[in-house]
Amino acid sequence: MDPAEAEFLAEKELVTVIPNFSLDRIYLIGGDLGPFNPGLPVEVPLWLAVNLKQRQKCRLIPPEWMDAEKLEEIRDQERKEDTFTPMPSPYYMELTKLLLNYASDSIPKADEIRTLVKDTWDTRIAKLRLSADSFVRQQEAHAKLDNLTLMEINTTGTFLTQALDHMYKLRTNLQPAESAQSQDF
Amino acid sequence: MPSTQKPMRYGHTEGHTDVCFDDIGSCIVTCGSDGDVRIWENLDDDDPKSINVGEKAYSFALKNGRLVTAVSNNTVQIHTFPEGAPDGILTRFTTNANHVVFNRDGTKIAAGSSDFMVKVVEVTDSSQQKTFRGHDAPVLSLSFDPQDVFLTSASCDGSVRVWKISDQTCVTSWPLLQKCNDVINAKSICRLAWQPKSGKLLAVPVEKVVKLYRRETWDNQFDLSDNFITQTLSIVIWSPCGQYVAAGSVNGCIAVWNVDTQECMERMKHEKSYTICGLAWHPKGGQIAYTDTEGNLGLLENVCNKDGKKSSGKVSSAVAKDYNDLFDEDDDFLNMDLIEPRSSPKVISNEEEDDDDLMLASSYPRHRGAIIEDDENSLDTALMKVNSNLEKDDDNDQDGSIPILPVSTTQRPFYDGPVPTPQQKPFQSGSTPSHLTHRFMVWNSIGIIRCYNDEQDNAIDVEFHDTSIHHATHLPNSLNHTMADLSSEAILLACESTEELASKLHCIHFSSWDSNKEWTVDMPKDEDIEAVCLGQGWAACATSAMLTRVFTIGGVQKEIFSFPGPVVSMAGHGEQLLVIYHRGTGFDGDQCLGVQLIELGKKKRQVLHGDPLPLTRKSYLMWVGFSAEGTPCYVDSKGIVKMLNRGLGNTWIPVCDTREYCKGKSDHYWVIGIHENPQQLRCIPCKGARFPPTLPRPAVAILSFKLPYCQITTEKGQMEEQFWRSVLFHNHLDYLSKNGYEYDENAKNEAAKEQQELLMKLFALSCKLEREFRCVELADFMTQNAVNLAIKYASRSRKLILAQRLSEMAVEKATEMAAPEEDDDEEEEEDFRNHLNAGYSSSTTEWSQPRVRNLHEQDMEDSKEADAVEEVEEMPEMQKFRQNPFCKTVGLPEMSTPKSAVITSSSQGRVNPFKVSANQKDPTTHSANILDNMSKFSKNTPTPNSRAVNKQKSPVIKPLIPKPKSKQALAATFFQPRPPHAGDKTEEKEEKAETILPEIQAAATENKRPKTGFQMWLEENRESILADNPGLEEADIIKEGMSRFRVLSSDERMVWTEKAKGGASSNSAEAKKRKRPADAKNEGKEKREEKSKEDSSLPKKRKPLDPSINVRLSAFAFKQS
Repeated sequence: MDPAEAEFLAEKELVTVIPNFSLDRIYLIGGDLGPFNPGLPVEVPLWLAVNLKQRQKCRLIPPEWMDAEKLEEIRDQERKEDTFTPMPSPYYMELTKLLLNYASDSIPKADEIRTLVKDTWDTRIAKLRLSADSFVRQQEAHAKLDNLTLMEINTTGTFLTQALDHMYKLRTNLQPAESAQSQDF
Repeated sequence: MPSTQKPMRYGHTEGHTDVCFDDIGSCIVTCGSDGDVRIWENLDDDDPKSINVGEKAYSFALKNGRLVTAVSNNTVQIHTFPEGAPDGILTRFTTNANHVVFNRDGTKIAAGSSDFMVKVVEVTDSSQQKTFRGHDAPVLSLSFDPQDVFLTSASCDGSVRVWKISDQTCVTSWPLLQKCNDVINAKSICRLAWQPKSGKLLAVPVEKVVKLYRRETWDNQFDLSDNFITQTLSIVIWSPCGQYVAAGSVNGCIAVWNVDTQECMERMKHEKSYTICGLAWHPKGGQIAYTDTEGNLGLLENVCNKDGKKSSGKVSSAVAKDYNDLFDEDDDFLNMDLIEPRSSPKVISNEEEDDDDLMLASSYPRHRGAIIEDDENSLDTALMKVNSNLEKDDDNDQDGSIPILPVSTTQRPFYDGPVPTPQQKPFQSGSTPSHLTHRFMVWNSIGIIRCYNDEQDNAIDVEFHDTSIHHATHLPNSLNHTMADLSSEAILLACESTEELASKLHCIHFSSWDSNKEWTVDMPKDEDIEAVCLGQGWAACATSAMLTRVFTIGGVQKEIFSFPGPVVSMAGHGEQLLVIYHRGTGFDGDQCLGVQLIELGKKKRQVLHGDPLPLTRKSYLMWVGFSAEGTPCYVDSKGIVKMLNRGLGNTWIPVCDTREYCKGKSDHYWVIGIHENPQQLRCIPCKGARFPPTLPRPAVAILSFKLPYCQITTEKGQMEEQFWRSVLFHNHLDYLSKNGYEYDENAKNEAAKEQQELLMKLFALSCKLEREFRCVELADFMTQNAVNLAIKYASRSRKLILAQRLSEMAVEKATEMAAPEEDDDEEEEEDFRNHLNAGYSSSTTEWSQPRVRNLHEQDMEDSKEADAVEEVEEMPEMQKFRQNPFCKTVGLPEMSTPKSAVITSSSQGRVNPFKVSANQKDPTTHSANILDNMSKFSKNTPTPNSRAVNKQKSPVIKPLIPKPKSKQALAATFFQPRPPHAGDKTEEKEEKAETILPEIQAAATENKRPKTGFQMWLEENRESILADNPGLEEADIIKEGMSRFRVLSSDERMVWTEKAKGGASSNSAEAKKRKRPADAKNEGKEKREEKSKEDSSLPKKRKPLDPSINVRLSAFAFKQS
């Protein structure tokens, strides 16, 4: 799965927007949305929120966790713990990216939030690399990784599994390789 | 009068706090560990002025406009008060100072620090310092001797020392306290205090007592103690009169002693038992402000108002004086040219320029002062002279030039009666206070108007929730507009007058189709706009001349009217204008408001004629407006939302208590709009404030409504609340339909359905609980269909008496519904009736009685066989009810005679009142007028009569009855047989009717009314009858025909009836086209055909009664879980 797909899945997350238009309930395959009353907060999926925002049809209310103080706490916690800490949203990275890209004017301290989320992300990815490293090094058969988000899994998942595959091949081919070598001779 | 404890409020963040009053006691000043000094107008002030003095403020002192603070950067610094501008550093320590105090005249301060030192510094010249060394631990507290000779200090080393200021020597030292190493570990901060003025006594809180030491001798005079005190006292203060001592303990107890009698006068407990760390006595006595270590601020009122015991004479005169003061104001008003309608609030606002707009109840003392001043202006009063001595005392005392006096009684006038409340100032709904630099001028369902008034910019921002109405606009605010309203048509702004410019009303009519979108109107000189509002197509403003001026939205001046008091607020919606004004002076914190609701549409009328507005006690108006559907609503400062209940004679009903939703004590909801469908209370949650700041942009929250019904936790209570809420919130539909507005028919049906369902549930619940009487009461609220269902339910659950009662009621109901129509008829036929009635004197009840009895029996039988028959027809009980009497009574000649007479007469009453004479030979005959009288009567008499009437009217007369108005269809159909099921009974009845009414029959045939089976049969067989009996009169032919027809087998008769039906239905289309008056007689017949149509138009409950009825009944069955 590539990041675009993960982002696509994240777009189903609900966010709160304040529309500046009036529209009755709309009926979609994924469920009913609305009714939209101007000035009244309504929960819509991220894809719609971004779309409305791009058309200047709404104001976004950032998710509760998208707050500099809370994120700072999360980042510090993440740095302190050796294991992964639970994230405020399973799509925190995607949400942050999309919301900050398209609605940075509705989010107070947008830059700070961007940095904090990036910091958290970096910490987590570093942890992931580190654990992958020790996993390979110690030749463990299995490992348990809690609290990883889809996006995080995808950054390393394909690579790691392929790498393990290759390594497995290399290891199992150790003997045949010799024989092959001997064949060459 | 016992003291009252006001609820605590949030003042500062957690940590040590300090409190005092300013010199005149007009405001409370606190400092806290957040480094702010806050100036509170009163305890309810949600917008205190904050002065940041440092990172942490440990202590402060306030005198002569100087604010001295001990802050965490180890300095003692001065700020100006109340401006809060820094005014230099007085002294420094090596660590922070713990306590600072002023001396009596405010020339020196003393500061004690954690570096064991005490310093006394001249305020004006900080180089003049005296240092007191001797403590071996951090200094906790200090106190200046009022005569400036001594200084006392308490320290963590456990000692309390008295120093001589002049030579900085220690005069005496008592080891009173527990030793500790730091202030934070000290059990008590030991705030000690000298008796004011004389300085004869020094009070020191030690353990659980207050020790009083005599000056000079330094011996322990006595101790003040009380069993109420269970923990260490940490703080002591004297009342300004020097008669009382108040002490606060570490577990939140506050006690007040009378020093002379050593008796404990007041005992108070902190609501959360936090440590009291600041106490301050109001300079005029009566109030004690206190703070705790969690940063909360509290206030005790009416402390030690017991002086009356000692000098009752004085008190009574004071009381009299105060009353006189009240009336003096009137005198002023009448005698002098000073025509100031609101003398008292104005005096106050002159007195304190920086006053908040919300004058609140807790400012009594100020207000009293204001009255006294007022009094001095009106020296013409004779009574004044009597009181002038007192007055002088007062003044002197305020100046402070007579230090030793029996102060307590003269210090303030003691008057225990109701105290007038300052009238609240006019405001715009949905606006924040006008003194803010960034404020909302209005936030309503259309949009937001913000006003910026700072150095860079003086501007107004208008933003629309729905950008399709208009784009956001930015306007310069050169005129300094302070009031605004916003509708989907226009922006309305208004400013008060200045010295050069008159008060202006400025309207930006953005929806105008011409190019001139703005207009301005100047008010006449000396007339200030105080409130504005917009409706649909009009704008209005209320002015200080107590006039409401109405303009069209294009700027044409329309109506002007006076309202009886200073305006508070106004609101507009559609054609309705709501004005709230002061009806008079409220007392004890209450406002006395009146409300006028005027409709400015085509038919101009006043709906509310200045009725009192029922505010919650001790509250003031916060918001007033209309729901989106046009029902007037308001919100008071206690967070109660009330709505006009048009269904109950325009009364006000509380629909929501926003405080219930608040998490914290100081949290509030700022209401911005009310919607009835869907039921939404839109508001903005404000943490620790009454109104939101403009930035960050507040988010709207939606609260639900809840009527304050009892026992809301029980299922019954819940359903009752839901039912009445549903009724209340759909009142607007009736209003709209009455006033010819469009409205959503669906919503109405939905509402009706919801209500009926709730009623059925309640009914089922009551049934389950064997509350049959209650069931009947509930059924009384139901519609006909629901009652039928209820009857079914009752009979199904074997409650036969109930079922019977219900069916009685159903009949009664139908009569009631028919009643309005009769009224109309009565008007038309009044003359005839008067005429005819003259001949009759018989009571209406005597002949109706037997039938009623009969019906009762009938009913009993019916309910017994209900189960068997019920699927046959829609309303079996009712059906039989109306039919059976006839078939049963056929065999009873003595019964049938009067009945037939009645039938005849009643039908004739409709058709042709004069024809009655034909039947009048029958002695028991009653004519139409009697019937009509009876129906009048029936409206207020219970069951039997009305039922009888009903029976005579609806069922029997049916073929000839004038068509009821469409709204009555329901009632009428109730008694109609349904054609497909009509069966024999119907037929029999028809026969009967026809035999009795030959001449009417004839008339009817002439009118081409649809024919009955009999008539068709008669037409066919007329020849043969004539052949058999030549020379018969027309009437006789029919009689003969009737008897022959009766001989026919029921099957044959059925065939004829069916035939007649077919013919009739083809007629009905044509019949409908005819004008009502012409076919009034026919419609009775026609109605039967129409009935099936009506059925379908009825709420869907009616239709599927057959198999699905069981399902639905079971749905209502109350589950006892």
